[in-house]
Amino acid sequence: MGKILIVDDTLFMRTLLKNILFSGGHTIVGEAGDGEEGVAKYKELKPDLVTMDIVMPKLNGIEALKAIKVFDPAARIVMCTAVGQEQMVKLAIKSGAKGYIIKPFQAPKVLEEVKNVLAS
Amino acid sequence: MKEVPVKIQHNNEWIVVKMGIGEDRIVLPAPVNKEILFKTVADIAEKKNILIITVKTDAETVYKILTVEKVLQVLKKFILASCNAYRLMAYFMSPAIRGGVMIKDAQWDKGSVVVVRSGIWFVSATKQICVPVNDVAEIELTKRDVQGKPTDVIKIDHLESGEVSSSFVLCPLSTLQVLYNYLRDTTKSMDMKGTELDGVDQQVAMLVYSGMDSHAIENMLNIPHKQLDAVYDKILKLGLGEVVTIRREIQLTTKGVRYISDATKSQTN
Repeated sequence: MGKILIVDDTLFMRTLLKNILFSGGHTIVGEAGDGEEGVAKYKELKPDLVTMDIVMPKLNGIEALKAIKVFDPAARIVMCTAVGQEQMVKLAIKSGAKGYIIKPFQAPKVLEEVKNVLAS
Repeated sequence: MKEVPVKIQHNNEWIVVKMGIGEDRIVLPAPVNKEILFKTVADIAEKKNILIITVKTDAETVYKILTVEKVLQVLKKFILASCNAYRLMAYFMSPAIRGGVMIKDAQWDKGSVVVVRSGIWFVSATKQICVPVNDVAEIELTKRDVQGKPTDVIKIDHLESGEVSSSFVLCPLSTLQVLYNYLRDTTKSMDMKGTELDGVDQQVAMLVYSGMDSHAIENMLNIPHKQLDAVYDKILKLGLGEVVTIRREIQLTTKGVRYISDATKSQTN
């Protein structure tokens, strides 16, 4: 079980992820509505894992991922993206993302990915 | 011709026969007494270990054959190579995405795509994967990164054990377009035209897909039970969902209240 920070610009997606992760026994330590806030919250909360949306205002998910990795190279970040953004996923993995989930989510799959990344 | 014991449904009963398998036909001895040329097979489907073969000669006849996995594999290999179907050589990746998560060790297989009436088969030296037409959610011509280059592929979204998986087909563009049109035509019964949901309806549908129950959905969207029921009705009417559980809410009668009061007393005493 881990302390998780959710970064997504839509309240609906944050709420959905929060419910799924909570049902899996994880603790949601914080939420952020854009990449910039995500980086700031990471520095403040130092979570075990971050779920990071890719398309977001201010800093996008890739930029936020890179900024977090500069601060903490061991950060565990799972990218959340819509189908069709696979190039972005590849770029994210190259930039140090540990995993990725594609919207729409299914609870067991999200929990499995988070578990794998937390164990890595 | 090799002979293998199989069970076959004959006159609504399962009987054991020694079926002969050749490269272009199977022979079913008495009491069935039939020789089936693979090229006359119009459809092939599989449910658990039962192979369902539809043979079209003058009339259509359906044969159900139950046997071990090894024999089924040989049968499927021969039938899919020769049956009456749309068939092309292609690379495929099936499944590539399952339940929203990309499968890490997914790789391109060289083989063929065989489209029959009831399903799309992906066949290679080691795989025989069937996507039933009824389980196809969407077919799309899209691009995917292949060896560093954005390449045209067909993406097939399909249901697999209740979750959406995606498979990809890769072949020369001209063939891909023909296959795409053929698949669209084969699966047009699943067309989504006229299936429109508004914002909250869509959110409800997405939450259902994510595995949330009614209680969680009401809390997450902050909507009353009656509104959620109305959205469910809409989803059901459009054929986008089906009822799996009907849950009841009750309130206690006076007798019930007395019961729990007594029970609480006895626990605290």
